[in-house]
Amino acid sequence: MLQTKNISKVFQGEQVLEGLSFRINEHEMLSILGRSGSGKTTLLKVLAGLETADRGQVILEGQDITTVPANRRGIVYLYQEALLFPHLNVFENIAFGLRLRKQPESVIKDNVYALLERLELPEQAQKMPEQLSGGQRQRVAFGRALVIEPRVLLLDEPFGALDSETRTNMQDLLKGVAKDYGLTAIFVTHDLKEAMLMGDRMGMMQKGKLNIYDKQADFIADKATGVLEEAQFWINLQDLKK
Amino acid sequence: MQANGAAQFGRFLFVLLSAVPIVAGVGYALLYSLGLTGVMAEGMTGAHWREVLRDAAFWRTIGFSLYVALVSILIALAIALALVLRSPRTFTKGSLSYMIYLPLSIPAIVMAFFIFQLLGKGGWLSRLAHQLGMISALGQFPDWVNDNYGIGIIVAHVVMAAPFFTIFFANLYENERLGDYLHLATTLGAGRRQRIFRVGVPILLRRGLATVFLYFMFVMGSYEIPLLLGSQSVQMVSIRTIQRLQRYNLGDIPEAYAISVAYTVLVVVLLSALLWFNRRQMRPS
Amino acid sequence: MSRTVKAMLVGLILFPFAFLLMLSVGRQWPYPALFPQQWSLANWAMVWGGSEGLSNSVAISVLLSTSVAALSTGTSFWVSRHIAYHPKREAWLSMAYLPYVFAPVILAACLQFFFILAGLYGTFGGVLVAQLFITFPYGVIFFSSFWNERLRNMEQLVKTLGGNSRQAYAKVLIPVARGALATCFFQLFLISWFEYGLTNLIGVGKVPTLTIRVFQYVNEANLFLAALASCLLVFPPLLLLWVNRRVVFKG
Repeated sequence: MLQTKNISKVFQGEQVLEGLSFRINEHEMLSILGRSGSGKTTLLKVLAGLETADRGQVILEGQDITTVPANRRGIVYLYQEALLFPHLNVFENIAFGLRLRKQPESVIKDNVYALLERLELPEQAQKMPEQLSGGQRQRVAFGRALVIEPRVLLLDEPFGALDSETRTNMQDLLKGVAKDYGLTAIFVTHDLKEAMLMGDRMGMMQKGKLNIYDKQADFIADKATGVLEEAQFWINLQDLKK
Repeated sequence: MQANGAAQFGRFLFVLLSAVPIVAGVGYALLYSLGLTGVMAEGMTGAHWREVLRDAAFWRTIGFSLYVALVSILIALAIALALVLRSPRTFTKGSLSYMIYLPLSIPAIVMAFFIFQLLGKGGWLSRLAHQLGMISALGQFPDWVNDNYGIGIIVAHVVMAAPFFTIFFANLYENERLGDYLHLATTLGAGRRQRIFRVGVPILLRRGLATVFLYFMFVMGSYEIPLLLGSQSVQMVSIRTIQRLQRYNLGDIPEAYAISVAYTVLVVVLLSALLWFNRRQMRPS
Repeated sequence: MSRTVKAMLVGLILFPFAFLLMLSVGRQWPYPALFPQQWSLANWAMVWGGSEGLSNSVAISVLLSTSVAALSTGTSFWVSRHIAYHPKREAWLSMAYLPYVFAPVILAACLQFFFILAGLYGTFGGVLVAQLFITFPYGVIFFSSFWNERLRNMEQLVKTLGGNSRQAYAKVLIPVARGALATCFFQLFLISWFEYGLTNLIGVGKVPTLTIRVFQYVNEANLFLAALASCLLVFPPLLLLWVNRRVVFKG
């Protein structure tokens, strides 16, 4: 489905991406764990066509898209902030991509209302962005991306700004939606638990290098991911109680 | 990427519309003042510059411009700071918060005309003084316009600048949460005067320095107000430059351009001082 | 603030407007009368009647200031984006302050020669171009704080959703900027509407805007007409200010 070959990028003398080659399969969600500054945002922007790599290729469904501009890739990049268009209501925000494609009104209505229903937002259609809660905004942002049936969805810490309860709800919702729509997606986070929850496969990004684990057990076993350390902390706590 | 061409054209347009006119203007003025261009061009000469720099009237002009700007700004600042610190809310909420914007709709030329009709020998205040029996003839009213101290010019600038600074400081007061700082100062034991002079005024002035300075330059280069309210014997820079330029004596033109260049140099020096000062303020010690 | 002080401030603020209005409807004002001896709307009737060229000046001023404001708001909006997103943004932006090194009238004096050369001296187009040199950099400075990381992300989002640059402008950037565009337009309109020195020097009296008229009447010692022209200059912006202070000075 989506494949990269040897992608490298240097920015202001620093190696941000170093020879990245990986592949994700159709309907798969790859979660990538990484601290800030590990190069994960740059990687997503290169995939989306918002930044150019110094070297390497991006291949989508067998076609080299390295030089295809962002607006013709069908890859949607979502930010941590929902970035809803402040001048449009919820309905129009979601309809945005369809209007760009000049779809007929009836198609727009059917699609947008279906999504609103699925995202548990049917009552919010006419509201303006500033009237929504953080979780609702992020759901609208999903809707706005999903409505154009993107070939790949790139999620850059989408729940980073939410409180923990909303975050858990949103993780469940996204999982469900991803399954229903057969999404192909990359989910980037610095949260260990979230990375394990969301990904069908997991990767770890460090200093511009990406390590992908085919089995969850490998991810857990690797000391660098910090899973063992985290687990040990809770185990120790349990021991203390006894 | 594909937007590169547009970006380059955008920056080209920017340079064309902001830097090119200035460079062309200063360049032309400099060449003219050195006798290298113009109707009377006689080839490279420093004569015009020597003439200007040795002319006491030129230095009086520079000094007078600085004096008018300094006095106008100081008075306007005092009024605005007093109003805002006395009751900050008045200018951000309620009817006065609207009213205070109204004077901004008066252009300099109208302000000059108004002040002339108010302060002139035959003006409204003179008439009022006459009605009140304070003077018995028009000639007894003091010279408040076209005078050598620039009283009319200064009053006009103060009337224009005071509302502007009041609005500016009232907004700063709110945005910088000055109220909180003043409360804090009170809990630390500051009295009323200390709150104003050790906290309120310094914070407002420091944050507003760049704006105050730009307004200072604006007053120094002002034209319409001294044109109607100034005197013939001491002139502000713009007036002297334009007057020399429009005289029939072609020999005056190179000097007019020399004054323009000298004034520009002065402004650049003052601006660099501001930038240097600002940077020093910003730099963490 | 006490009620008396407030009332005094309001009085001080309103006094110039009342004074100018009074003179504009006055006739005969011998010393030492406080108020004109006769009142008449004849001066005002003249504006609509078309004599004295006052209505002509109103038209020229409106046309000039609207064109200057529209042109410079539009171009500075577009250009400032390319400046704001440049890695050396601060250095570029400092160039926009250059025109303020000069007083506008001195700038006009130094550029006179080039305007003659270009055949723009004493023409409407010449005054328009000269005013652009003042308003355009102002617009660039005005919008430089408008462009930020968030807006840039929003623009990129439009791209990944399938929109091109034109669509990003039409459907997102311009609608989002509507308030800022209106504010900038009005401020630039005022700068142009109030301009005298530069207009006089480049227009050489052949582009008689309202400010030029005020000065002309003052020179002719016709204070009633000068007051009338002043009112025509002051009241349109006054009205707009009163209607919507927020839009006008938000920037």
